[in-house]
Parts: sequence; C-alpha cells; structure tokens
Amino acid sequence: MLRLIRSSDLTKPDDLEKIREKIAANRIQLKSIDFWLRYFDPISYRKENGPLPVEWETEVFEKFEMPYRRKGAGLSLAEKYMDERESLNKDSLSQLIQTSIDSLVMFKRDSVMMQFASPDHFFLANRLYLLNLAAVYTTGFECPDTSRIIPELRSLLPAVRNIYDQFATDFPSTPLSKNYLELYDRMLAFVNSQPKQFSLFDQFTLIRDYINPLFKHNQQFIRNYNVLSISFNDYALNNETSSIFDKSLFISQNTKGIFSLVDDPAALGEVKRVGKLLFYDPILSGNNKRSCASCHKPTEYFTDTSVATALQFEGGGHLPRNAPSLINSVFNHLIMLDGKHISLQGQAQDVMTKHEEMNSNEEELVKKVLTCKEYRDVFKKLLKLTPEEKNISFGHIISAITYYYADFSYYYSPFDRAMNENGGVSNEVKQGFNLFMSKAQCGTCHFVPHFNGIKPPYIGSEFEVLGVPADTAYSRLSDDKGRYDANPASETLHAFRTSTVRNIEFTKPYMHNGVFRTLDQVIDFYDAGGGAGKKLDVPNQTLASDPLKLSSPEKGALISFLHSLNENVIFEAPPSSLPVSSDKSLNARKVGGEY
Amino acid sequence: MIIMKSLYLIILSFFSFLLLHQCTSEKKTVYVIPDHVTPRNRQLLTEKAEKGRVLYKLHCSECHGIFTKGKDGVPNFTQTQIDNYHAAALMGIDPRNHAVAKKMSAEQVDQVITFLSLRKRD
Repeated sequence: MLRLIRSSDLTKPDDLEKIREKIAANRIQLKSIDFWLRYFDPISYRKENGPLPVEWETEVFEKFEMPYRRKGAGLSLAEKYMDERESLNKDSLSQLIQTSIDSLVMFKRDSVMMQFASPDHFFLANRLYLLNLAAVYTTGFECPDTSRIIPELRSLLPAVRNIYDQFATDFPSTPLSKNYLELYDRMLAFVNSQPKQFSLFDQFTLIRDYINPLFKHNQQFIRNYNVLSISFNDYALNNETSSIFDKSLFISQNTKGIFSLVDDPAALGEVKRVGKLLFYDPILSGNNKRSCASCHKPTEYFTDTSVATALQFEGGGHLPRNAPSLINSVFNHLIMLDGKHISLQGQAQDVMTKHEEMNSNEEELVKKVLTCKEYRDVFKKLLKLTPEEKNISFGHIISAITYYYADFSYYYSPFDRAMNENGGVSNEVKQGFNLFMSKAQCGTCHFVPHFNGIKPPYIGSEFEVLGVPADTAYSRLSDDKGRYDANPASETLHAFRTSTVRNIEFTKPYMHNGVFRTLDQVIDFYDAGGGAGKKLDVPNQTLASDPLKLSSPEKGALISFLHSLNENVIFEAPPSSLPVSSDKSLNARKVGGEY
Repeated sequence: MIIMKSLYLIILSFFSFLLLHQCTSEKKTVYVIPDHVTPRNRQLLTEKAEKGRVLYKLHCSECHGIFTKGKDGVPNFTQTQIDNYHAAALMGIDPRNHAVAKKMSAEQVDQVITFLSLRKRD
C-alpha cells in the first residue's frame, strides 16, 4: 500500500481509484480479525480504522481521571482524506497508513497474546462483536463509503464463522451450541439475500431474528461456562440479560448512591417514598419556592415542555439550556449535556446549590429538611443502614431523590417489545428504523439500543458538534460552548452529549437550547447537514455537512419509528401534602414549588 | 449480711466493667497523613478513612483480617496491592469473589481504599 502511494500521482483519477481499491481490500482483510482487535485493544484499534482524527476519550475511567486525547489513523481516515483534493499529499496519506502499520505491534504484546490461552475471552469478544453488529457495523459509523457497508458485512460474517471453527478445534470442552451455529448460518444466508444497497437493507429483521437471539445464546454460554473477564470492555455489561433491548443490558449510573449496600425491600421502599416527597418539596431551594418538579415535571416525562429553557432563580430570566427529561438519564456515564458530572448525585447537588437554579447550601438544606418530623423519622431509621455515616447528610437526601426518579427509566416502548418478544411493528415503523440506521445516518450517533450516545461496549458517552443555531432563522450559531466548558479543546467547542430519542414525541422542545419546537424542524436540520449545511461557520462540526436528501415519505417513516419509541411510562399523582415543619414559616410551601 | 451482699455486687460490677471494657474497646486506628496536608484536609481525610474503617469491618474483615480486642488485625497490604485492587474494583473485575465491592458506590470504594492506604501499618 505504501509502495502504491509512493508510485502514484495523486492528481490522476486513475491512480486515486487504485489506492481506493487497495484501501477497500485492506479493510476486508482487517474485518477478518476485527473480532479480536476490537475487544483486546480498542484504543489501538483507533489507529487501524478510527472514525475521527482526534477523539476525546470519555470512557468510564474519565469518572476518575482527566479525559485522554486519542489520535486516530488508518483506513477510514485515509479514505476520507482522499476526498480533500486541495490539501491531499503523499506524506500525509502515507502517514495515516504508516501509523496503522506501526500500531499493529500493540496487538502482539504478551498481555494480549496470553489471553488466547483460555476460552473466556472468546465469548466476551463474541458478545462485543454481536453488539457491534447490531449497533455499528451496519450504520457506516466507520465506513465512509456507504456502498461498501453491505459488501464488507458479507465478508465479515464468514470470517467470524472461521474464527468459530478454529475455536471449536482449540477449545472442544466449551463449544458454541449447534443451535447457535445453525442460527448464525441462517443469518449469513439472510444477509446474502438482502439488497447490497444499505438503505434498502432490512436491519430490523437482522437484529430481531438473528443478532438478538444469538446474543441470548452467547449470554448463556458466558454464564454456563463461568466466563471471567479481565478487560475494562466488560465493565458495564450485565451477564444476566438475554436481550439487547433489556434495560438492564449495562450499568452506567449508581442510582442508590449512599444506600448502595441496602438490599432490604422495605427499607428501599421507604427511601423511594421519602425521595418522592423531596422531589416535590421546595424546601430544597433557598427561597422555599422551587423544587425538582419545577423544571422536571413528573407528569410530563420529567421535563418542561412549555419553555425553551427553564426559568432562573428569583426572576433572573432563563437558564441557557433546556431542562432534559430525567427518564433514561440513568443510561449515561457522564451527566449533563456537557458531561460535567460523573454521577446523578453530583448533578443533584450542583443544581440545589447553584445560585441561578435552586440557590441553597448543603448545611442549611439538611437543617431545614430535618425540621420536618416525617423526614427526620425516616432518615433516622435509614441512618442505621449506612453505619459508616455518623449523621444524616446531604448524601442521604440526594440519594433518596435519585433512587426515586430512576425507577421511571425502566419502562418499555412498542419497539422494545417487538425486539424482546419477537413481535411485529407496522411496515412504516420498520422502514423508519431501517432509514434511521442507514440513509438518515441517525444510528451512527444514536446507538442501539438506547438510541443515545453510548456505543458498545457501553462504557463511555459521546459528544458531537452539530452546529445548532441560536434561532430558527439560522442567523447565527448558538453561543453555548457545551463540552468545552468541562474539557476545553478545539474539538469540544460547541459539542454536546448525544441524548436519547426515546419519548421524543413528548419531550419537546429539542436541542440543548430548545430552539426547535417540532420534530419536523429537527429532521430538516439534519437533512440539510446541520449548522454547516445551513451555511453557518462550524469548522469542527462532526456531523457530515452534506444534505441527506430525505424524501417526505422517508421523513414520515422516520417520525413513525421515533413514535414507536414512546415508552409506556406509568406516571404517579403528586403527593397530596408535604411533611410539616417545626418552623412555621416553612409550612406555607406548595407541593412542587411555585415556579 | 446486706453490707456483704452490696460489697459483693460492687466488686462484681467493677470486674464486669473491666472485662467489658477490654472486650469492646478497640485500639484507635492511627492514620499516617503527610505533613504538607492542611489541617482541614487532614480532618476530611481522617473522616473518610473512618467511614472506610466501618465499611471494611462490616464487609471485608470476615475474610481479610479481624478486629478483636485491643487489636486491629487488618493485613498489611502493600500500596501496590491497594492500588491494583482500587483499579480492579472500579473496573468491576472479579465480581464473583468481591460481589460487595461491585455493589458499593464509587465513594464507598474510595472510603475503603483511603482507610487501607492511610492506616498505620504494623
């Protein structure tokens, strides 16, 4: 390949075509060992086939350290670079390839090679492979030339079948079952029977009838063979789930907080009961007029659909960002649209003590809450269950709140049920999903199964620069710096964490600043190629600025699919009254606060 | 007779007090915190370590050392062992052997690690 680049004339279309073909052939070769590379060293994999020149790693470990800057290289980037006619030069192109060759040695180090001695990693790598098959391989996430997605898939599947055969010879005592292999072969036949054009490919059936049942088998192997992981890739994944669309597929937030070690259902019931009261109680704010429910209305999917961005404390105008729905917020590793917080408890603490929001402070808040006999009695009882804590603390209060609202994230949508129970959806929904995963390019950022920014193995949250405007006339870019506030770098300016599209019909307005009031406006924004497509100056936009050219029936199908992600959330009535305080001035407070 | 009885009772209660005192009192754990740490942070670290001590006693000591009369029998883990375990616990590795560490919040893991790291080793 390097020789080919050296001997080519990059101004000649014929020579460029030859390099492109060579890249494509190399990608097919890479795909045959993708199965192992991605699992054993996902960091070095970015040098082989990284999707972006620079990625800020927001893996789980960012919870405990500063983010890492990872430079990408390899085939996808070389392919993209070849489109940049003006700046194209041999040195830079060779460099992208040379880096990927140099990085190959990383996969041969002892810590990787010794893992081949046990069968455990095979099943774990296979799980990651199946999850990637559902979420990444078919969407073009790391294959810029969309005409090659399905051909690559067709060569990937048999290559993995060869790995299966090799595994059967090497580890005969822990086999893949006959059922598994038969189903896998049927999947191969299905993929070969489907059209080559990825926008016509039936991804819905591929996932529902093949990938998800294979995943279930593999989870059984992991449990039955007592497979043990030594890789951070498996940090979040749960071995007990049998469906990719089961909400316990992975763990991203500890909703119990300080009550983590409490198991007694009666005690947890008490935590939840008091959590609900606190959620509606304006005693948590400085002026006793604002509660969590002021901006996250529990009867409106825990968001406020009436305003673009929430009101500030004491009439200071509006906050810069739209109040997000708390439903499904537990399926994020980093909290807030800029990923400022690592835990739900950290976010709750911030909002209660921030001057522009609830304007309270820890000490005063705990004192006020404990003037209410009902709270005091419950927390006194609960204190015994957290023996390491000497006093009732702010931690007890915020953990009760997060534990209360987290429950509302565990409802399912008709689409989940179709996937989980092998059920059906209308043709339009199916077509909408297939578009979501292909031509409309939604699935390259909103990943299966939560359709948010967490991709397999579900250990980090992704941030994207979309070029969201300040107004619907697209007169200028929104001046919110987004992720830059938490992690300043040229790549993170105006980047926001990818939110889920579940319940989207009921959680308007959209985008970080609530600029769009309808889904049609949102789809038009993406159809045009985001802010850059709308002629705004967004030099670091991560969304492709080319128009998607969606037809109006296609847009209709997309919206039908989005509606099939409305979860059947069962809302509860607010509490009829709040606990009585010994401080009489606090007893005028209203359920849910005043504004 | 009555005097004898009360004297007997007094002596008995004195000895039982001594006995009970010996059984229940633990040697206070000493924490080694570098000199450059400010008094405020020193206090915070000690509070954190004390929380970790309670958690360790409840959830770890059954297998890893015992707290008995007058003695704190926690094994002298090396700092490398502690650091490795910290990383492993955060990564959720080895859940079968340490289910309790998997259940703990990150703060609680941190408290236990702080206790082990700061406590004065024998």
